[in-house]
Amino acid sequence: MLEFDGLHKSFGVNHVLDGVGFTVAPGSMFGFCGSNGAGKTTTMRIAMGLLRADAGEVRWRGRLLDQDVRRRIGYMPEERGLYPKMKVGEQVAYFARLHGLEAAAARRAAEEWTERLGLAARRGDAVEKLSLGNQQRVQLAAALVSKPEVLILDEPFSGLDPIGVDSLAEALLGQVREGVPVVFSSHQLDLVERLCDSVGILARGRMVATGTVDELRRRETGRLLRVVVPDAAPRWAGALPGVRVVSERAGDTVLELADGTDDQAVLAEALRTGRVTHFAWQQPTLVELFREAVAVPTAQEVAA
Amino acid sequence: MSGPRGISGASMVRLVAAREVAARVRDKNFIISSVVIVLVLVGVLGLQVAFSSGSEEIRVGLVGDPALRAALEQQGDALAVDVRVVELDDGAAARAAVEAGDVDGVLVLDDGQEPELLVEQSAGGSLQAVVQGAVAQLALAEQLRAAGITSLDVPEVSVTALDPDADADGQRVVVAIIGVGVLYSLLILFGQFVAQGVVEEKASRVVELLLATMRPWQLLAGKILGLGLLGLAQIVLIAAIGVGGAIAFDLVDIPGELVGTAVSVVVWFVLGYAFYAAIFAVAASLVSRQEDLSTVVMPTTLVLIGAFVVGIQASADPGGALARITSYVPGLSPLVMPVRQAAGDVAAWEIALAVVLMLVAIALIVRLGGRVYAGALLRTGGKLKIREALNAERA
Repeated sequence: MLEFDGLHKSFGVNHVLDGVGFTVAPGSMFGFCGSNGAGKTTTMRIAMGLLRADAGEVRWRGRLLDQDVRRRIGYMPEERGLYPKMKVGEQVAYFARLHGLEAAAARRAAEEWTERLGLAARRGDAVEKLSLGNQQRVQLAAALVSKPEVLILDEPFSGLDPIGVDSLAEALLGQVREGVPVVFSSHQLDLVERLCDSVGILARGRMVATGTVDELRRRETGRLLRVVVPDAAPRWAGALPGVRVVSERAGDTVLELADGTDDQAVLAEALRTGRVTHFAWQQPTLVELFREAVAVPTAQEVAA
Repeated sequence: MSGPRGISGASMVRLVAAREVAARVRDKNFIISSVVIVLVLVGVLGLQVAFSSGSEEIRVGLVGDPALRAALEQQGDALAVDVRVVELDDGAAARAAVEAGDVDGVLVLDDGQEPELLVEQSAGGSLQAVVQGAVAQLALAEQLRAAGITSLDVPEVSVTALDPDADADGQRVVVAIIGVGVLYSLLILFGQFVAQGVVEEKASRVVELLLATMRPWQLLAGKILGLGLLGLAQIVLIAAIGVGGAIAFDLVDIPGELVGTAVSVVVWFVLGYAFYAAIFAVAASLVSRQEDLSTVVMPTTLVLIGAFVVGIQASADPGGALARITSYVPGLSPLVMPVRQAAGDVAAWEIALAVVLMLVAIALIVRLGGRVYAGALLRTGGKLKIREALNAERA
């Protein structure tokens, strides 16, 4: 397990992380969402030892991350960085060596990864001569070349075209299949929804939601019910106990049900109005979940 | 847990240093500057050889009386001309040698005939003087012997030198100035390399990836060490060419001291480089763009220039108060002490004191500078204050 446990961090008076914690199982992908400035990059930098947490710790297989453990982590920083004048092949091999591979093994691994990421023809070119998309691939090769046990990627999809997104997603899924836990942050929530086994939503330095996308949905599901009754009079559901009308337009009604309210009673009421063309629990998209989670600060959070 | 991933700090430093060396030896600027330095050096040596009059050499062929050989060489000594005597068999061989240019002229002595000097076109001033003198000397000795006079009582002039080492002193100082000049240029050059390297890593943001695998001090040490080895190789090469050339072409009268001065320049380069490279690196870590580099390294560059000026001044007055005091001051000492050492009037304890002070200063800079460097590396955008960097280090 990769465990982030109770991370606190302040920069001066600015309280950036306030008890951030989540767990990533081996062979699973964790999507880290949050608005700009929510603290995603800070969390990842703490994991990589680039910042020191005020409190809390990050563990891999029960062991506190130290320089030796970190060498087994593949990392892609938000600010992409490579030596612009160094050749692609040499650069990838250099990062393999920094992660502990012997010279010969590093060379082999660099060849393998440049090949796998479609950079074989560019091995001898300086990185600055490559297109941005290809530079991004070199960056990924640098993160993957040492056969890392864990991957931590900060906004790996930003700046990629759809084909680049697909090939990166494929590469990450490949890592997951090999049992590597992958943590990545992203604003592209559709992507997170599609790829990730579990999701964490960070807002104002706190994890406001964690779990599988399904779990998050279920938390919201059971609350919003959409009923379409074209022939119903306005306010047809207003009198039902435990039901609040969220919106209603020409029979297209969204209802919020209190805990314990019987949805079948609502259906019976709807049928009484005439035809029912739609009756279903709302499946919120991750975007909606995200808005929900991020938008409503508790009083405590506001104080923080 | 997998694999043998534990790497010692030392091997991390070695990896960084190896990358620096590999990147630099392929860098055009480095190659060009190295070639230019060597060319300038060879050029200076060539000029020295061309202009040095003390090494004029005359090759004289000799047919006949071998007794003249000694006389010719003696005359050469007297006229400060190197005379090389080649004995030839007969007139035909003499002509051939002159025509082939093997000799400047041939002195032919046939029994009973007047001595004859064969030359290709005309006899240069010193050639004729040497030959004329030698023949005259021999003839004079023979005539005296014939007259029964075996010894002449000629008073010998005794020479008292007021400053017997004046020439050697001058050469020592010249050698020291050249040494300090080379030292200064290489310190500036390699200090710039270090500074550019630090900013390059910050500007390209690769530093974040590096620091995920190593500590800031390992990165700093590897960079300084790698470039330092290149600098050392370059100054040793320069010293070898300079000293070797000067001795081979016989440009100096004090080869032993020349070697001593070269060695002390190399040693002071190591100390000076460690000092300035650390400062340049720390200063460079405060900015994120190459464009901002010149403003932060300016103060250090000015100190270096000041040290160079003081060093040159010290060569004129190596025993003066200014030279004496500055030769202990860390940062100035690498460019002043070698001059005083070359001039010769410096005690061993003074050198030891300067070295110790320098080492203490280096240790302090590396400790404090390392913290600034560590704090500043991940702060991009704008120019950082040293205090901010020190605070950030604790972050």
